[in-house]
Amino acid sequence: MLVLDIKNVNKQYEHFSLKNVSFQLEQGYIMGFIGINGAGKTTTIKSILNLISLDGGEIHALGKDITQHELELKQEIGYAFGDVNFYNRNKIKTLTKVIKTFYHNWDDETYRRYLKKFNLNENKKIAELSTGMKVKYSLALALSHGAKLLILDEPTSGLDPAARDNLLSIFQELVQDGEISILFSTHITSDLEKCADYITYIHDGEIVNSAEKEAFVDAFRLLNGSKEQLELVKDHLISYKTNSFGFTGLIYTKDFDRSQGIISAVPNLEEIMIYYSRKEEAYV
Amino acid sequence: MYNLLLKEFKLGVNPFFYVLPLLTGALMLIPGWLYFLVILYFCFLTVPNMFAGYKSQNDLMFTGMLPVTKRDVVKAKVTFIVILELLHIVFAIIYGLISVRLYPNMTYYFFSPTIGFWGLCLVMLAIFNLIFFAMYYKTAYKYGAASTVSITAATLFAGVAEWLGIQSPLVHDLFKGSGADSMTTQLSILLVCTAIFAIFTFLAYHIGYKRFLKVEI
Repeated sequence: MLVLDIKNVNKQYEHFSLKNVSFQLEQGYIMGFIGINGAGKTTTIKSILNLISLDGGEIHALGKDITQHELELKQEIGYAFGDVNFYNRNKIKTLTKVIKTFYHNWDDETYRRYLKKFNLNENKKIAELSTGMKVKYSLALALSHGAKLLILDEPTSGLDPAARDNLLSIFQELVQDGEISILFSTHITSDLEKCADYITYIHDGEIVNSAEKEAFVDAFRLLNGSKEQLELVKDHLISYKTNSFGFTGLIYTKDFDRSQGIISAVPNLEEIMIYYSRKEEAYV
Repeated sequence: MYNLLLKEFKLGVNPFFYVLPLLTGALMLIPGWLYFLVILYFCFLTVPNMFAGYKSQNDLMFTGMLPVTKRDVVKAKVTFIVILELLHIVFAIIYGLISVRLYPNMTYYFFSPTIGFWGLCLVMLAIFNLIFFAMYYKTAYKYGAASTVSITAATLFAGVAEWLGIQSPLVHDLFKGSGADSMTTQLSILLVCTAIFAIFTFLAYHIGYKRFLKVEI
């Protein structure tokens, strides 16, 4: 079953636009939503939560249209924004007391369990929590109202490696039973190498590719060759960097001709992102 | 809607603003003062401070994520402000009753705290609400211009009312002359003013809601 089905979403701003954004997420999986800063990740996430109006396209979450079933869906969607703070001078206790009144399926027992599991002290103020703890608090809230889809915007940004790893393990644990699905945006691609099942890559408001992780990476090749070899493939490369020995460049696997004898390797997500975002610069 | 109202009470505003009516109300004890100011302090202090709090605490985003309709969001906020306004008026009335007993032979140059005067205060708040909410919900976070214009309008109303109370024989008679002693006249004024308050505040909610629909969070 698809928990998220985004079709041809368009949104026009003065200096930026989302262009025909489409991707799907299957139930029980983690999808990494990657892109450089300003690529449209948060705008897409806001449109999934119906916080902005669309100029075109459709968004279905858990099988229902978000614009028509916003309230029902918000009961079943959990969220965590890594860099936004709400009422951070209030204690966790106070905030929870208010938030729980909004959810029909709120379960105090589950909430207590997650507080304990995540080592959250109810008497602490939000401002006193580390970034990682804030994300864990959001997760505890989401799971206590029985959220089936978790939408996390940059939950790991600003976290130390140990806290990131800890959070990623939690994400994996959550999807294990196949009931909960996670969409999480990040520009820290190593997080996704560890835990994502699917990758969706957005660049300048357009989806470059959305696929299962291995297939996603396999669609690209990183080439290493001499300056002479560069001339052979230059027109097919997405972008390239030259150095005193030759060049390194990214190419779509389908455009790569192995018979040219250029050394090729499967790139990692970071390399794909770096070379893809150099694409425009190359033609300036 | 009740959970949103509860949210406003528990998170939206510093408890100081629940105590403020007790403090500003005490200004009614100043003999023969310009009593419109007692209520205007709500507009001067509470409203800009509260809405600055909403802005700095990301209330718009926080509320936007909750499973609530935009209609209820506006309704709760307007209701909350009305509750606070009534709190200010009720405390001012109580202090006013004390004031008239403390200084029984006072000559009032400005309006004395009569029933009709409290009606005028409601009209002043009605004007404030209508302008404030209509302007605020264009963005749902910028409160500066909305506060400035609505406070100016409410103050102007108070100024004109006081001026008419001195200059116009009709208004003078209603509030300070024979009308002041007639319970029927005073209650009629209060009734009409309460109706104006209700209509203007409902309009404020309605316009606010229509504008909030177009706001991108």
